[in-house]
Amino acid sequence: MKKTLLFVITLLLLASLVLVGCNTGAAAEETTTENQEEAVEESAEKVIIRWYVGLGAGSEPENIPGQEALVEAFNESRDDIEIVIEFVDYEQAVDILSTQIAGGNPPDIIGPVGWSGVNPFEGLWLDMEPYLEGYDFSDFSDAAVESYRLEEGLVGLPFAMYPSGIFYNRDLFDEAGLEYPPAEWGADYADGEPWDVAKMEELALLLTVDANGNDATNPEFDAEDIIQFGYHTVWSDGLKMDCAAIFGAGNVVDADGNAYISDEWKACVNWYYTAIHEQHIVPNETYELSDLLSNDNTFDSGNVAMAGSHLWYTCCNTSVENWDVAAVPSYNGVLTSKMNADTFRVLASTKHPEETMEVIKWMTGEAAPELLQIYGGMPARESLQEDFFTEMDENFPQGVNWQVFIDGLAYPDVPNNEANMPNYSKAYDRLHAFKTLYHSDPDLDISAEIETLISDLQSIFDEVK
Amino acid sequence: MSTLFSDFSLKNFKFKRTERLTKLAKREARWGLFFLSPWLIGFLFLTLLPMVMSLYYSFTNYDLLHPNDIQWIGLKNYIQFFKDPIIRTSALVSLKFAILALPVGIIQPIIMGAVLNSRHLMGKRLFTTLFYMPSIVPLVSAIYIWQGMLNARLGWINVFLERFGIPGPDWLNDTTYIYPALIIIGLWGVGDMLLFHLAAMQGIPTELYEAARVDGAGWLTTFRHITIPMITPIIFYNLILSFIGIFEYFIIPFVLTGGTGRPGDTTKFFAMQLYKEAFAYHNMGYASTMAWMLFVVVMIITIVLFSTAKFWVYSAAGEEK
Repeated sequence: MKKTLLFVITLLLLASLVLVGCNTGAAAEETTTENQEEAVEESAEKVIIRWYVGLGAGSEPENIPGQEALVEAFNESRDDIEIVIEFVDYEQAVDILSTQIAGGNPPDIIGPVGWSGVNPFEGLWLDMEPYLEGYDFSDFSDAAVESYRLEEGLVGLPFAMYPSGIFYNRDLFDEAGLEYPPAEWGADYADGEPWDVAKMEELALLLTVDANGNDATNPEFDAEDIIQFGYHTVWSDGLKMDCAAIFGAGNVVDADGNAYISDEWKACVNWYYTAIHEQHIVPNETYELSDLLSNDNTFDSGNVAMAGSHLWYTCCNTSVENWDVAAVPSYNGVLTSKMNADTFRVLASTKHPEETMEVIKWMTGEAAPELLQIYGGMPARESLQEDFFTEMDENFPQGVNWQVFIDGLAYPDVPNNEANMPNYSKAYDRLHAFKTLYHSDPDLDISAEIETLISDLQSIFDEVK
Repeated sequence: MSTLFSDFSLKNFKFKRTERLTKLAKREARWGLFFLSPWLIGFLFLTLLPMVMSLYYSFTNYDLLHPNDIQWIGLKNYIQFFKDPIIRTSALVSLKFAILALPVGIIQPIIMGAVLNSRHLMGKRLFTTLFYMPSIVPLVSAIYIWQGMLNARLGWINVFLERFGIPGPDWLNDTTYIYPALIIIGLWGVGDMLLFHLAAMQGIPTELYEAARVDGAGWLTTFRHITIPMITPIIFYNLILSFIGIFEYFIIPFVLTGGTGRPGDTTKFFAMQLYKEAFAYHNMGYASTMAWMLFVVVMIITIVLFSTAKFWVYSAAGEEK
């Protein structure tokens, strides 16, 4: 009898352990962070809307408090909806979102996110149109709205635009006794010569300096001990970003789905390769990731004279006080402002589309001015643009010529540098690997590497044909 | 009829039905199975079932984001596996790393074990503790520490080298030095193997050394002809685990490079590519194929190694024959 009782007790204990284990697992699936658990408890009657930040801008440490404050204010003002915000590191954001979707635990809202961030998730987005009946689109340009109308419907509302330009450090130009690059698109440099890639290279040579004070034109220049670089494309994630920044628009896939690299982009790769390993005007990976260049936030280190980047770089360019922005130099007479655009997307799997769209309207409407300041995004709402730049002036009192970005809207890169490719994530990784190779290895046969890249890309594209 | 498999012979892998069980034996067997059941259930549902499912998925186009569109595609994934240039690249990366890392990983614990086993060394316990301590540091934290140590400009290693006028390389971003850097990081956590080797050396009968000394053998001779042969079972064990470990090598390069495989594709190890296929490219079907091909390759290598064991691994049982 005693043994039977012991058996039953042990069985119950085991069962309880299994149940506890299962319950923990289920809970872990439903709530990924401590904050979420608290939110669920506090707002049992509210509809929980999960907002996933990290696939584009927004998860940098300096951006988090502002978003959290806005969410808190929203949650306090509403009895029916509770936003739970999740910040994910940019480098892991695609993997984590993929796992959440596959695990049946996807968030509702994703963003801010550009095209590159959503390309791996093609076909999973909610058509917002049915939830926007009577919505006033008049504040957006038609082109901006249409850019989000895909086969699956209207997948986003225009939110932020980020034209690009050349950020430059006035102090470093003054120190070298050089005139600033032009703010007007298509204008010549101060010496009357065209403001093109060759002129930018010429300035970069004079602005690249070693520890002994020699610039890169000096025969005594020590490439092993550089303390200041002439140019860098900030946070470039691959060949497309590197090249679209100063060598014009392009893609690596043609209309028939075949891999190719245009002559302009081949010239671009050769230019970077020479600039990095022979002229040393662009930092290699070693310098780029060093403390000298703020561990990859190169222009913000104060040791890079010119940097190609987007308006969103204002998010993280706070250490250099005396910077301004110039037009992108032309290449072969063509002007290009590489363009990024962000919005918020909703996964079609959301269980609460109505409430989620309420939040989307709030984000792109009432909360937009503050969110845009956090992300450094130029408002897609025309009515907000003037106030946005007024506030940017307050944040950057040295006087930045914001008109460069506004005028840059006339020279977008078409096709866009974030345009989709077959087998996007895999092709993206291959392009990233190629970029890190030519940024780090000084002994490459670069033409052969370009041909290998094309061949590999073709194989990657063929996988999904 | 109530019987139980009661006799298991490892040699011929046959179960023998030998006797009828008493009531007590049956009850004990039931309890035994009951206490084993958590492991059995865990093995069935968390190991065997996923393995069987992954074999099935390897013949499908299972896409992580579109699980409902799964289709049987026969051998297509396996054919793609042999044509895929990225597979070639990642397999080559693993192979290159194996050629460099394996000898170091095998030899280093032997040397360290021999040093710690030396009767001339003072403070053996202290050194053993110090050598083992890195093994208890969480790996990811250790990797971040090493990332700082190996920093080209400000890392301690290069700062140290510079004091002697040696320009330190860019360990983590140079395609030539990335593998040595990974090996150095790997060696740091060699504590487990060190202890195994040390224990094996300490288990060698001292009579063997005494007899050798009487015969006039020096340190090197005894090390070569006594120590090494006697610890071959541990070397063999280390060799098998190291081979498997290299093909599954993932955490260190993933944390160091954020999964990018930089510089270039030099750290795109096979296991990392497998992870990317599954969770970044969402090709769970193809990733399952990769996993099974990895399993086959590792199994073949293990069988080959086991088949060589009789030629060089010391076996006390063999002597008894």
